[in-house]
Amino acid sequence: MLGMSRAGLAERWTLFVGALLSVALGVALVQSSLLLLISAATLDSSASQNGDAAVAMLGVVLGGAVFLAAFVISSTFAFTVDQRRRDLALLRLVGGSRRQVRRLLLGEAVLLGLAGAALGVPAGLPVMAVQAWLMRRFDFVPAGFAGEWRMWILGVSLGGGVLLAVAGVLVAARRAARVRPLDALRESGAAARVMTAGRWIAGLFFLAGALALIIVAPHGGPGGGQAMAMNVAMPAAVAIVAFAPLLVPAIARLMPFGGGVLGSLARANVRDARRRSASVAAPLIVLIALVVGNTGAGASFTAGGIDETARSTHADFVVEGAVPAAAVPGVAVVSTEISVPAEVTVGSGEDQETEAVTALVIDPRAYAAVHGTPVELSGRAVVRGPGGDVPSQGSVHLRLPGADLGELPVVAAVPETMSGGAGLLLPPGLVLEPQVAAAPVRSFVALAPGADPSAVRAGLARFGEVATVGDWLRADAELRNSTNDRVMLIVLGLGGLYALIGVVNSIVIGAATRRREFAEARVTGLTRGQVVRVALLEAYAVTGAALLLGVVAAAAALLAALTTTAAVTGVATLDLPWPLFGAVAALTLTVTGATSLITSWSATRPPPVTLLAAHE
Amino acid sequence: MTTISAAVTLHGVSRVFGRGPAAVRAVDDVTLEFPRGGWTAVMGPSGSGKSTLLHCAAGLERVDTGRVLLGDTDLTAAGDAQLTTLRRTRIGFVFQSFNLIGALNAEQNVALPLRLAGRRPSRSEVRATLDAVGLADRARHKPRELSGGQQQRVAIARAMVTRPEVLFADEPTGALDSTAARTVLDLMRSMADAGQSIVMVTHDPGAAARADAVVFLRDGRVVDRLAGADARGVADRLAAWER
Repeated sequence: MLGMSRAGLAERWTLFVGALLSVALGVALVQSSLLLLISAATLDSSASQNGDAAVAMLGVVLGGAVFLAAFVISSTFAFTVDQRRRDLALLRLVGGSRRQVRRLLLGEAVLLGLAGAALGVPAGLPVMAVQAWLMRRFDFVPAGFAGEWRMWILGVSLGGGVLLAVAGVLVAARRAARVRPLDALRESGAAARVMTAGRWIAGLFFLAGALALIIVAPHGGPGGGQAMAMNVAMPAAVAIVAFAPLLVPAIARLMPFGGGVLGSLARANVRDARRRSASVAAPLIVLIALVVGNTGAGASFTAGGIDETARSTHADFVVEGAVPAAAVPGVAVVSTEISVPAEVTVGSGEDQETEAVTALVIDPRAYAAVHGTPVELSGRAVVRGPGGDVPSQGSVHLRLPGADLGELPVVAAVPETMSGGAGLLLPPGLVLEPQVAAAPVRSFVALAPGADPSAVRAGLARFGEVATVGDWLRADAELRNSTNDRVMLIVLGLGGLYALIGVVNSIVIGAATRRREFAEARVTGLTRGQVVRVALLEAYAVTGAALLLGVVAAAAALLAALTTTAAVTGVATLDLPWPLFGAVAALTLTVTGATSLITSWSATRPPPVTLLAAHE
Repeated sequence: MTTISAAVTLHGVSRVFGRGPAAVRAVDDVTLEFPRGGWTAVMGPSGSGKSTLLHCAAGLERVDTGRVLLGDTDLTAAGDAQLTTLRRTRIGFVFQSFNLIGALNAEQNVALPLRLAGRRPSRSEVRATLDAVGLADRARHKPRELSGGQQQRVAIARAMVTRPEVLFADEPTGALDSTAARTVLDLMRSMADAGQSIVMVTHDPGAAARADAVVFLRDGRVVDRLAGADARGVADRLAAWER
């Protein structure tokens, strides 16, 4: 059987190169993310305040890499097996058993997994360098940070490569083993049924998962709701991919093909080759869903949070510094707020948990006036801040830099907000002057009725930089969005590239097995240019359908963002980064179009008669 | 009537494709014996169900009603594993489109059924089979390096290497020029003379005339039998049924 595998590898090399590439890049991506995660986790925590954030982000990166690798590898393998349906039926015809077909495919998967991982391990090093550079560039890690090589990763990568390849081919092999020997006699060897029971089950399962997240997200509070909404796109995309053999050809047919014989031929091809269309569309759907869904939801949460802050802030100016009360004429209220990094410990014994939060030292009455929420603070009592993260009753153990404040009773909580903020509000008497001497201070200033804003502004300028509340909110939104974008670039950048390579892979594999079909079209009277144009039209129809379906999956995430912002801030908010969406759509259309042109041009290079005559 | 002398027996076999008003009775209540050690040709107009009949007789297509016996083994009751074993040991196939595995050379193609059966065939055994079809010198050639007639002879060698009880051939000369077709038919004639049971579907009266007997099929039913006729006789009879 191994000899068969080797001979098969040599013959159908485009199929196997595609499969090999998907394994190699998947292993490279997973290996790099894992090594970086380990490196960040073992980083000396004193060297970086962002240590925890970097570890959390790399955890998401690793999860995404594993998901994408499993997804791209299994869909590529399933496609290659499907393309060889006729060969496998032939094997059955001359006496091959179902088990032998399964063993052949699993044997190939082991070979491809090993070879792919062997390529993926060295390929992982430049990937890691790029990922580490991005992390450093955006200040998520200290300047000296670099991924460290571990010897054991060799075993993980090789084992992981084989595991992913074998897992990817398991379902396809079971299905292929059921191929009827008679199918070898059919010219096209096209798969009979595309919507298998497994696809239905997987599709409905992930659809239910996405729906559950959408339903629960508005009840998850600001933190939980955002986390759930950001996780809707993935199951929604998988559900749509499961139904892709039904959805993609149906939608692709509706794309504007233009009139004429070429358009109708392209439309017929898309309808006929459901499996191929679905395979090309699958990674695209996931890519679009993740990029559009997550950046859109992220931007919406930022916009929702900023709007909420704007509505609840009853001030005119924000001063980056301490403004003494009554220091400037025309000022009605000044809420001076000092941010102190704090460690909060909750519970005792094994349940004890310590968390780093920001504590805000406030004047309760001024804070209440400016932020529109009553705060009762006296003595050693503290209040949970708008950032949450701290229980709203009982007691907490509070440590500030250089001071242990001991157990403090939490007597109340201000409402949690979308944009977060301080975890704990402290009365002024609790903290001594030296402990907050170097801490950043911000003052919210409300004008007295009839006061001249420009005069007050001029008077405030000597205490620190002054901005109107509107300008301050805009700057805050910009900062948050740019952080969002950086996180997305790190989390989705290389993964998105990998998914795009998966798309290219599927087009190349599809075109390689279409040489005969192209030759038939040419002896029927089409010119080479017309054949290439038909293939291009098909590629655009399938890409268009995939973009549409990706947006549908993304819409699930955006729906969750809408309902969650409505539940938390009272106003449903949607803010979509259209330039990014446009760029992604243009990029995918360019890549699929160019790949289709190149592959169909090269597949039509030999004169058609040589292909038709040399059949078998 | 089942006699042990039959290589393949079809008893009341029907096969319907589709359902409702679009249903097509490709094979309609056929009872037929293919004698052991004889070469039977099945003829009929396009759409008469001759290929389906062959597929049913070979256990490649399930039947809706009736029984198919290979010797005294009931194919209609056999599961997939048993049919696989039968294909390895007792049934050989040859098709119009050769169906060789492009990645393997002639020798490897011929050895494949034995290797699938878990045997490691000796080189001389495989060479002898290729020699019997006159292709000993082409053992290392891949299918694409062979002519159509040569490919079909490799396919026959692959079918015969397991020494099957019955060789099923579906339009074996359909894709060949007349010279190559004659070579293949000569080969099959000499196999039949040596006692090989052959069931062949063809639309070529010249090919059918090389068989010992011809069965005519129309609309899924056996309508006529002819033995010992020449090509002209077969063609006239076929023309009569096609009217």
